Amino acid sequence: MSNLKRKINNMNLVRFRFWFQIVAFLLIVYGGYIGFDLGNKLPTFACVYNGDFTGGKCYLGMLQHDLKHPWETFLGFAGYAFLISLGIFIGWLWLLNKAWCGYVCPLGTMQDWITAFRTKLKIRFSQYDWSSRAKIKPIKWILLILLLIIPVMIANSVFGLPKLPNGLSMPFCDICPGRMLIPAFTGDFGQFYIDFSSKTDLVMTTLGMIIVGLFLIGSFIKKRFFCYFCPMAALQYTFSKPALLKLYKDGSKCTKCGDCYRACDMDILEIADDVTSKNLVTEDCTLCLKCVAACPEEGCLEANFAGKTIFESTKEGFIIRMAMDKKGELNEQH
Amino acid sequence: MSSIERTIETPKDKQNRHKAMEAIKVINSIKDDFKSPIQSMNYFYDLFEKVYCKNEPLHSGKTKIGTMCIQIPSEIIYALDGVPIRLCNGFYTDDEIGSDLLPQKACPLVKATVGHFASNNFIDKPDIVFSPTTCDQKTKAGTIIRNYGFKVIDVDFPRTKESEGSREYWRKSIKQFAVELSKFKNKKLTKSNLEASIKKIGYAQSLYHKLSEYRKEEILPILGLDMFLITNAFFFDKIDSWTEAMEILLKEMKIRVDKKTNVAGKRSPRIVFTGSPPIFPNYKIPLIIEQSDALIVADETCSSNRMFNDMVAVDEWNLYDMIDSISDKYLKACTCPIFTTNDDRIRRIIDLVKNYKADAVIYQAFAGCTVYEMEQRSVLEAMEKAGIPILYIESDYSPSQQGQLSTRIEAFVESIKNRRRRKK
Repeated sequence: MSNLKRKINNMNLVRFRFWFQIVAFLLIVYGGYIGFDLGNKLPTFACVYNGDFTGGKCYLGMLQHDLKHPWETFLGFAGYAFLISLGIFIGWLWLLNKAWCGYVCPLGTMQDWITAFRTKLKIRFSQYDWSSRAKIKPIKWILLILLLIIPVMIANSVFGLPKLPNGLSMPFCDICPGRMLIPAFTGDFGQFYIDFSSKTDLVMTTLGMIIVGLFLIGSFIKKRFFCYFCPMAALQYTFSKPALLKLYKDGSKCTKCGDCYRACDMDILEIADDVTSKNLVTEDCTLCLKCVAACPEEGCLEANFAGKTIFESTKEGFIIRMAMDKKGELNEQH
Repeated sequence: MSSIERTIETPKDKQNRHKAMEAIKVINSIKDDFKSPIQSMNYFYDLFEKVYCKNEPLHSGKTKIGTMCIQIPSEIIYALDGVPIRLCNGFYTDDEIGSDLLPQKACPLVKATVGHFASNNFIDKPDIVFSPTTCDQKTKAGTIIRNYGFKVIDVDFPRTKESEGSREYWRKSIKQFAVELSKFKNKKLTKSNLEASIKKIGYAQSLYHKLSEYRKEEILPILGLDMFLITNAFFFDKIDSWTEAMEILLKEMKIRVDKKTNVAGKRSPRIVFTGSPPIFPNYKIPLIIEQSDALIVADETCSSNRMFNDMVAVDEWNLYDMIDSISDKYLKACTCPIFTTNDDRIRRIIDLVKNYKADAVIYQAFAGCTVYEMEQRSVLEAMEKAGIPILYIESDYSPSQQGQLSTRIEAFVESIKNRRRRKK
């Protein structure tokens, strides 16, 4: 048992995650081919526009759809249906917590591939400065609120305002890069279009095209560029506290060396500087666990599942991952 | 008439003779005063004797890069085919020379370093010196040394480490340092040579960590004094010989732990040493501690643990990220008292006490080392809160006051023993 534990703690997380993400990507994007289907309440971008091929569907689509009903229906059957859907979503979320983002999300995986490509080209990544970093934090919450409110406002007149046009029924899907990029992997490029049929459609589909462009360019420059704005991350965080998978920190062991912060694709400062909190799953965390792998302090950071440590930082693991366990030779002759 | 040829001893010879006397006294004490000596420590005893008593240079023909503090990255120096020599000095002989040049109340470490430069009497003379602007005295020392005709380059160092600005500032400083050194050496810093040297130093550090693990044992296989010698040797030794010696030492440690060889008594109190750095041969306080039947099981000083504790962690193994990682290593994790806040240092000391099952902390501050003196109160308060006994000692490089110091330390050690007995 302790041998297995040691092996896990010494593992090459980057490689493990790379393969895990590929398998998850294949199942989510092509799962339909083999009849794999996780349902339509997933806390990750498994795209509904991917048709029969998808191995599951994203809850954000379902949520927008569910909310587009007149008030009265929520008091009846639709209300129960809504709560059950939400409950299933929360159930999935509690299983993996935000690791859905770091390990499963096809959009996240695509961004990591773009990052790997950039690294190969030896091009430096960019970072936000701290004040900009703080400023963009609320954007995902604004997007979440909009995607919740707009469908309601289509079916209802809120505060006496006129109802919104039906073209806005899936407002987030219209601008989500997943709608265009994920079906492209199954050969369907049909989502790359601008809809001139109405003003709303024109605006929304144009926005969508712009955002796909930004997604591709942005994630080349900034690691996990899109995740900073993702309303799914916001929705997940709302329910993440009781989840089974956790990222714990023992602040008394922290030297604030900042290795974890530098490894973090989401530039989460708290991971290095917060020495009092135990639960370090913050709103932007994707639970990729790169911080745990980069931590040189024995047991300072750990991934915990239902109260059991499954992967924790160790000195030995750190040294092996940094390839410092063997006597290297300087290239130059002395 | 036979004539005996008499030569007049030059000041340099005199300095060397005095330094050799200081050095051999300490080496012999460590070698002979304690039970169950370690065979493979002889490498280190011989090394110090060779360098400081016989004045044999180690790096003839190589470019020697002098560093004035812990913050100058050896990784970059090795990558550019230089040899880092840390010039922080522990000799009373040099301290006396420096006393004539610096204010009376200056720190002995700085005085000794400046004195060493003033005498221009080096075994391995540095070709260029990099001086990080850490504490006030070191900052000013750089300029004083430059006036003696040495090539000294200041490396700007920030005094806060939490802010975004200081991180960026220091990263820029390190880039500038790499550029300067690369120009001086006329050699390009590349991905492959920097990666190789990061891993080489990382490996050396990993050996230190392995050795430290043995100090967590109930029955202690190695003295704190030996540890100080080992870590101080890293200031100037050839890195390959050092790692080789460590590998051999680690093998012997394994055997000693299996055989339960103890370097002290069963009830010797375990001490965490913190504060101003013990630098060879100024082992005054550690010697008294270990001669008083206590054992140093861990330390939080820049001449020892702090040099090895933090390793460079790179996310993307390209030049841009390696340089940033190196910069961060020398700033973020550093627990030097020159920084505005010292919570990190306190947390570190408490963590060491816990991990190494220590009974108490001994805090040395050099008279004149203002920052360590100033931090004393907050550390003492924190230790009191954590229920850890602590002894604060002010010391310097002079051989006097031995009696008074040993009385205080012995009394403290006795009180720890009593405390332990009462606990049982």
